[in-house]
Amino acid sequence: MNFHTIKKLSFLFFSILTIFLLASCQLGQKDTKEVVNIYTDRHYDTDQELYDIFTKKTDIKVNVVKASADELINKLELEGEDTEADIFIVADAGRLFRAKDKGLLQAIENDVLENNIPNNLQDEDNNWFGLTVRARVLVYAKDRVDEEDLSTYEDLTNEKWQGKILVRSSENIYNQSLLASFIAISGEEAAKDWAQGLVNNMARTPEGSDRDQAKAVVAGIGDVAIMNTYYVGKLINSPDPEEVSVGEKVSVFFPNQDTTGTHINVSGAGVTKHSKNKDNAIKLLEYLSGEDAQSQYAEANYEYPANPNVEAADLLKLWGEFKTQDINLVKLGEFNQKAVEIFNQVNWK
Amino acid sequence: MLNRLSIKRNLNIWFVISFIFVLLIILPTLNIIFKVFEQPNDIWYHIKEFLLPEYTKNTLLLVIVTALLTSIIGVSLAWIISIYDFPLRKILVWGLILPLSIPPYIAAYTYGGLFSYTGSIQVLFRNLNINIDQKYFDIMSLKGTIFVFTFFMYPYIYMISKSFLEKQSASLFESSRILGKSPFQTFIYVGLPILKTSIIGGAILVILEVLNDYGVVKYFGIQTFSTAIFTAWFSFGDVTSAVRLAVLLMLIVVFVLVLERLSRGRIAYSYANTKIRPLKKIKLRGIKAILATSYGVLILSLGFTIPTLQLVSWGLFTYYKINISYLFLTLNTFINAITVTIVIVIFALIIANYSRLYKTRLSKIMSRLTTLGYSIPGAVIAVAVITSFIAIDNHFYRFYQLFNPNIKKLVLTSSIFMLLFAYIIRYMAIGYNSIESGFDKIGSTFHEASRSLGMNSVKTFIKVDIPMLKPAIISASILVFIDVLKELPLTLILRPFNYDTLATKTYEYANDEMIHEAAIPALMIVGISVLAILGLNKAIGKAGKKNDY
Repeated sequence: MNFHTIKKLSFLFFSILTIFLLASCQLGQKDTKEVVNIYTDRHYDTDQELYDIFTKKTDIKVNVVKASADELINKLELEGEDTEADIFIVADAGRLFRAKDKGLLQAIENDVLENNIPNNLQDEDNNWFGLTVRARVLVYAKDRVDEEDLSTYEDLTNEKWQGKILVRSSENIYNQSLLASFIAISGEEAAKDWAQGLVNNMARTPEGSDRDQAKAVVAGIGDVAIMNTYYVGKLINSPDPEEVSVGEKVSVFFPNQDTTGTHINVSGAGVTKHSKNKDNAIKLLEYLSGEDAQSQYAEANYEYPANPNVEAADLLKLWGEFKTQDINLVKLGEFNQKAVEIFNQVNWK
Repeated sequence: MLNRLSIKRNLNIWFVISFIFVLLIILPTLNIIFKVFEQPNDIWYHIKEFLLPEYTKNTLLLVIVTALLTSIIGVSLAWIISIYDFPLRKILVWGLILPLSIPPYIAAYTYGGLFSYTGSIQVLFRNLNINIDQKYFDIMSLKGTIFVFTFFMYPYIYMISKSFLEKQSASLFESSRILGKSPFQTFIYVGLPILKTSIIGGAILVILEVLNDYGVVKYFGIQTFSTAIFTAWFSFGDVTSAVRLAVLLMLIVVFVLVLERLSRGRIAYSYANTKIRPLKKIKLRGIKAILATSYGVLILSLGFTIPTLQLVSWGLFTYYKINISYLFLTLNTFINAITVTIVIVIFALIIANYSRLYKTRLSKIMSRLTTLGYSIPGAVIAVAVITSFIAIDNHFYRFYQLFNPNIKKLVLTSSIFMLLFAYIIRYMAIGYNSIESGFDKIGSTFHEASRSLGMNSVKTFIKVDIPMLKPAIISASILVFIDVLKELPLTLILRPFNYDTLATKTYEYANDEMIHEAAIPALMIVGISVLAILGLNKAIGKAGKKNDY
């Protein structure tokens, strides 16, 4: 028994030791292959497919760490100049601004990127470049709401919408960027009034995701929801027939067409300040902003391509062209904290 | 003389190992706790004014109601299962542990989907043309959160209470019956008092899990203390306020833990005789049997069968997307969980043994400190660990260069060690508590007998204590294993490049609102956990029979 137990214990010890050794061997390995390391908060399978194609084309291996944007910013800060990350990709201009603001990105002067990405979708100091565009629009019940009654985001605070507006929690970055854009356009006071008015008209305490808001519209909990365009695309193309039917019962409305324009945001990428594989990083950015990759972004994920030479997916074309907010997306980051403070003050859950 | 020397030497071994380990665990945490003493800034005042009151209220409500409900369900089930015999009892005995295999965040997504407008329940009613007010389907509320926590965490209390009841002597309950007490009175006057420690122990685990949860409350939009920590940290980019909040939370936890200590300290039940006559189950008949069976089946359905079936039906939409990468995911997850489990169990044994043999103030403090990690929010542990590992890498850079002059600096930081280390900090408490209560159960008589017969403490530990601790070791291993399997926040932040686990995959899909795709990895987590639980059940049964002490 004694011998047996000792044998067992030593077996355990040796197995741990082996695992540790194996792990450290991997560390010691010197990788001669070209690589590019990405920190990203985009979790879509399509992104991985694009990286795989890039690797096939260029023989540059793409390594990925996925986590939330804020965690990645935090990680980059902590790692400082020793970071292994070469590219930072996130789905919000506000977060790109924050990364730039903290000095985590570097300026990239590159003609291909300049040609592929329009000026309003990139950082003025070339610290980051937009890759895909999403609009935050109104989604309404076809059977209960007349399109004529919809006009602007501001109009949603009108008494006629009392108890009819659906929107997710203020903890969500898309809402924070939306309010930040209002602060940038019409000032803090007006933005606060808007947020307060919207809270007064909410059909319920904010809960669930963007898709859940569309479902709540169809369920009759409210009439109009504020949500991102691509979620409607995903509902219509869902494997679940019930979700498809929800997607078909709602319509998309682009607000503020006659005034300040519809709020848009980007997924964008920048090269990290302490990148060790800068050339490879730029190659990957060139590829991602190019027509092949851009059309795949558009088709698979129902996002608007940032590259103007690439057509949007058929569904998005159906919704037509629209006027977008005329502000530098950097503002979304600048006013993020203010937006969060306003949300807390007006008690937007 | 010789004997005394050997005691001294042994004290050093136990002490040194324990001390080093405890130091390793608390240093990163201390590192970050010092931030509390920095001057509070405007953001802190904003949080205090607008967020804290409501968040504290919600958190307290959640914690208190969940603890209460899980206790009621857990204890009542344990009582019925241990005292009575009724149809399906054999399945329910282990079946009722299964809800533990579904991580609360997956349960939240599943029930959210189930109750949503496109979910099976509403679709069914629509097809039957029955109109029900939407407010009855509102699972994403405080009530819904309590529901999810209750039905997926009650097994903590059920398991502990059941295993405790099984070790009780039949005479205890027979006496009560002979004295003319009804079964209910027996439960109240005999059952509850002896179960007090188990209930409190289990409830503490539940409370800590609830306090640390981020997935459920985030998805349901419920604002709690952990949301406040993340808002401070991420929306305001203010680590100091986040840590301040986390420390506040820790103080609450420490307070709760002290209460638990106090309640445990005064009671000590023990039987003079090591042979305990096991309970003879009372056979229920008629309506009582039906009631008992349906109660068990109801809880099992809500906590396991229904959500699992829902996941399976979602999985059917997307099963064709399964590919070879899932094999690696599963392998990663497995290796992770097993390594962490082994390390935790070994160190828990050493420290618990040290703290038992040398009941000094230092040993008590050390045993408490070991379990501190469980009360710190995952994200805070993550930052603490990254900061420490970067410091270590900076110190050891010259040493690394001896092997490879061109080596990168962040060798440890970019390795899996960092993640494993963080898991150990986080889940030490789970393993330690099980093993400590195992030591409590076997007492020190056998150990002392062995020592007085001339065996030293190491030999006694291996030959006498460990075999007797087998059930405790097994249950500690399984609990830690399942927790690591499900772990999310640490894995997300600390993982190396190209590293996915089943939990991160589930989260990524669910976070992108791709609930159908998320179902496959979620089901794999559930499947592996179920196997682990079945293994636990079998192993404990066997160990119990073998060592009939």
